[in-house]
Amino acid sequence: MLSLFLSSLLLAPPPGGGDLVAIRVKRAETIASGPLEHALILVEDGKIVALGEDLPVERGIPVLDRPDWVVTPGLVNAHTRVAGERSPARLFEPQSRPTFDVDPRHEAWEELLELGITTVGFYPDGSGIPGQALVLRPHGETLAEMLVSDSAYLKIQLQASASSKKAVREAFAKVDEYLEKVAKEREKWEKDQEKKKKSSSKTSSKKEEEKKDDPKAEEKKEGALTPEDEKEEEKQDDKKSTDDKKGDVFVPPAPDEKVKPFLDLREKSLTAMMSIRKAADYLHLLDVLKKEKDVQFFLQFPLSDDGDLYEVATKIGEKGLTVVTVPEVTLQVNSLRERNIPAELVRAGAKLVLTPRFDTVRGHEDWRADVGRLVGQGLAREAALAAITLEAARALGQAEEIGSLEVGKRADLVFWSGDPLEPSSKVEAVMLGGEFVVGDVP
Amino acid sequence: MSDRIRRSVIYPLSALLLALAPVLAPISAQEGEGGGPPPEEGGEEAKTDDEKGAKYFAIVGGDVHTGTGAVLRGATVLARNGKIKEIGYDVFVPPEAEKVDATGLRVYPGLVALGATTRLSQGLGAAEGPELGEDEFEHPHDKPREIQWDGLLPVALAPESHVGGDDEHPELQAEEEGAEEEKSEIEDTFDPFNSFLVLALATGITTAQQSTAAVKLKRYEIDGVLLSDRNLASVTWGLANPIGIQSTRKKFAKAAEYLRELRAWRARNDKNEKEPSRRGVDTTALKVLSGEAQALFRASAREELLGIARFAQEHGFRPVIEGCDEGWTVADELGRAGATVILTPRGRSPKDERFVRPGGASIENAARLHAAGVQIAVRPESTSIDFVGTAGRDLIALPVEAGFAVRGGLSEQAALEAITIVPARVLGIAHRVGTLEPGKDCDAIVTDGDLLHYQTFVQYTVVDGKLVYDKEQEIYFAHIRPRPKKPEPAKEEAEAAGAEKAETPAEEGAEEPEKGAEAEDEDEAEEEAKDEKKDDSKDE
Repeated sequence: MLSLFLSSLLLAPPPGGGDLVAIRVKRAETIASGPLEHALILVEDGKIVALGEDLPVERGIPVLDRPDWVVTPGLVNAHTRVAGERSPARLFEPQSRPTFDVDPRHEAWEELLELGITTVGFYPDGSGIPGQALVLRPHGETLAEMLVSDSAYLKIQLQASASSKKAVREAFAKVDEYLEKVAKEREKWEKDQEKKKKSSSKTSSKKEEEKKDDPKAEEKKEGALTPEDEKEEEKQDDKKSTDDKKGDVFVPPAPDEKVKPFLDLREKSLTAMMSIRKAADYLHLLDVLKKEKDVQFFLQFPLSDDGDLYEVATKIGEKGLTVVTVPEVTLQVNSLRERNIPAELVRAGAKLVLTPRFDTVRGHEDWRADVGRLVGQGLAREAALAAITLEAARALGQAEEIGSLEVGKRADLVFWSGDPLEPSSKVEAVMLGGEFVVGDVP
Repeated sequence: MSDRIRRSVIYPLSALLLALAPVLAPISAQEGEGGGPPPEEGGEEAKTDDEKGAKYFAIVGGDVHTGTGAVLRGATVLARNGKIKEIGYDVFVPPEAEKVDATGLRVYPGLVALGATTRLSQGLGAAEGPELGEDEFEHPHDKPREIQWDGLLPVALAPESHVGGDDEHPELQAEEEGAEEEKSEIEDTFDPFNSFLVLALATGITTAQQSTAAVKLKRYEIDGVLLSDRNLASVTWGLANPIGIQSTRKKFAKAAEYLRELRAWRARNDKNEKEPSRRGVDTTALKVLSGEAQALFRASAREELLGIARFAQEHGFRPVIEGCDEGWTVADELGRAGATVILTPRGRSPKDERFVRPGGASIENAARLHAAGVQIAVRPESTSIDFVGTAGRDLIALPVEAGFAVRGGLSEQAALEAITIVPARVLGIAHRVGTLEPGKDCDAIVTDGDLLHYQTFVQYTVVDGKLVYDKEQEIYFAHIRPRPKKPEPAKEEAEAAGAEKAETPAEEGAEEPEKGAEAEDEDEAEEEAKDEKKDDSKDE
């Protein structure tokens, strides 16, 4: 059905004309809807416009025929500081972005692109609450060219310690304080409005009285604004009142820059990445967020042999949370029993995002193979592929644009010589926004 | 040794019934109504409970050592929402209740560990920031935790912070008083998954002193772990530090004077009169004298103990004395002072040969002190816990340590109390834990033998009416002396019995009696042991 529909699309004259290109490959890992054999992808203006199995291509459209290649969406590493420095300093800078840590000319970016990584989440440095992550494309001469978004997620390190819990609690308490302040200002503003209404509706004989009242009201308001209906009335009044008419809605005072991110968290316009280390941290995290039911967050944790995240795998799974971790099989604490925690989490219902085990270029080289090994040890293949593409894109808030092969998404494609999870497969070509940036392609 | 233990546990029947009278009362009332199946009212009650979402937990059929002196053979402990609801026979167990079959096993109250390593509640990796000490590897006996951790806090009358300077700078102390005592951070640092906690549960420890706090060793959850905080106040009293003793005396005298003035002021109820100033009054002494905290002394020498006993009697409080190696030489004095002592029965200290009088550690220390009316709490030589290098002297050996007090003549009941209710009293949580009594927290352990015997394993541990440890399910313990299988059809055995039999499930079921016979060899030893016990009880 889909392919029929698509082919009918294809048979129609190309809508935009221009840089239309069709690529025919052995298989397309669409991520969103499973693999497509003998797939054909039509790319126009940097976007995927059609995708299907054995689609016929209209004469005149250039076709890149690569019957051995496998195509996947560009890989996404949601949590990296490659080409940046790391320090463990404890910070509380929720408003900051690591823009100055990005060196667009660093050779690592080019190498990452050659490895098929088309998007990264560049996280801020330090522990505690060091700031918000950037979404970057490892391609471009300047930061502006690389930057996709400057607010991917707010990184919050949360541990089973009083200080780290306190930091988050206090941050939300400040949001409460701010909201209280806003409520008070609004009340004041409304009162002033009422006062004005009354005074303006009074006869001109009482205008003198009004004059006494108004300056006070003005002082109180400070940026408070009058509703429209009043405007009309006041237009007829003396000139003095025009000072008040700066607009027609209440404008709340701007929050402190350090309060704003937490306000955004509550209003769901920002997602938090909670960095934890062990199972207990997760319980303490839930404890901290007991009153903050609206906050959207995902988890990030390293895996090591003293990690006991398997203890809360079911709990995390029940919530359908996204977890960012590394492709590693670890040992149960104080034992030699192997635990495939990523696989356990997926089985429990969590959404998995995998990042390289080591945050170096070399680590990125091994990334695919590590993920493949995890599949060999029990992780579902679809989950593994999604973990390095679509779910990672979702964690960065970019799932609408990238992460899977779907019509309408950006044409960030990686062409492989074989199965992408096979260590022997190589990157043949990389397409970024419809343009080949890696590979020997005409 | 085991014979001796067994005999002293078994009480004459009449005494047993007497002890049980309060426990049995509701049951006998039920029986009066008709006995047998539970009355309908009970069922209805259960129904309304279900609507409220009550959770039931039952330990069925074990020999329940309540810790209050009673032993109920083959009784049931029923918990509702984490609290013990009923202990006895013919207890109506709601069908939806989670059950642990303790048939042939013993049920004890969960153990309470004094001065335990913070590993229990925080694991190893947690050490971060000043709130977590890194002193796990130090010998806790030498450097009591309260003093280590509370260097900045007003609780401890530790020599380093109080000897010398303080009396001359009352303004400094006034400042200290103003500062709020920090609450224990255990609720924010508790790690309910750490493997040391599992080790503790495997030992039967369900409550532990962690620094200044008493902590319920909950597994899988972090809510409600803090039971009490700062119930103990360290007081300096050592012969090596006579100035410290003097300073302590002064502080207590001043605090007592302040309390007298305060009481008089309150009695006069004169609004024009100012409240007596707390300036320069030591907070710790005040807490002890006003009954908010118990004074904890660390002393072992006879002279120190005598001094403490007199000092406590002068000021009218009951001291807690840790160490107390030579306590047996002054048992009567300590008994009169209403002391509680924290002993290490295996601890050894030599007699001071300069004196003719008796001295040094004695295996009979606990027994003699107990006979003089002193409450005994036991802690092992080391209160650390680990997976490696366990020399049998750390927390894992807590029950065995109490067993050594029995070796010195302490009654088994007192030895059980020494690791349950007495430490609970020391921590100020005896209303919650320490014994199995209706209304208290359902913290119980199920063992496969006498608790104080070194070969005994804890099979199940229950904390707040939840099964948190099942030996068969634990990676560290399941393989060690597996629990004898109940006569249920087990697949492996069925296969071993013969291929033709294992073919259909029905045949497997039919096999059951045979299986029992096969398993007999394994169970034989145990059954014999049980028979012996029965015989013993008959004899007595």
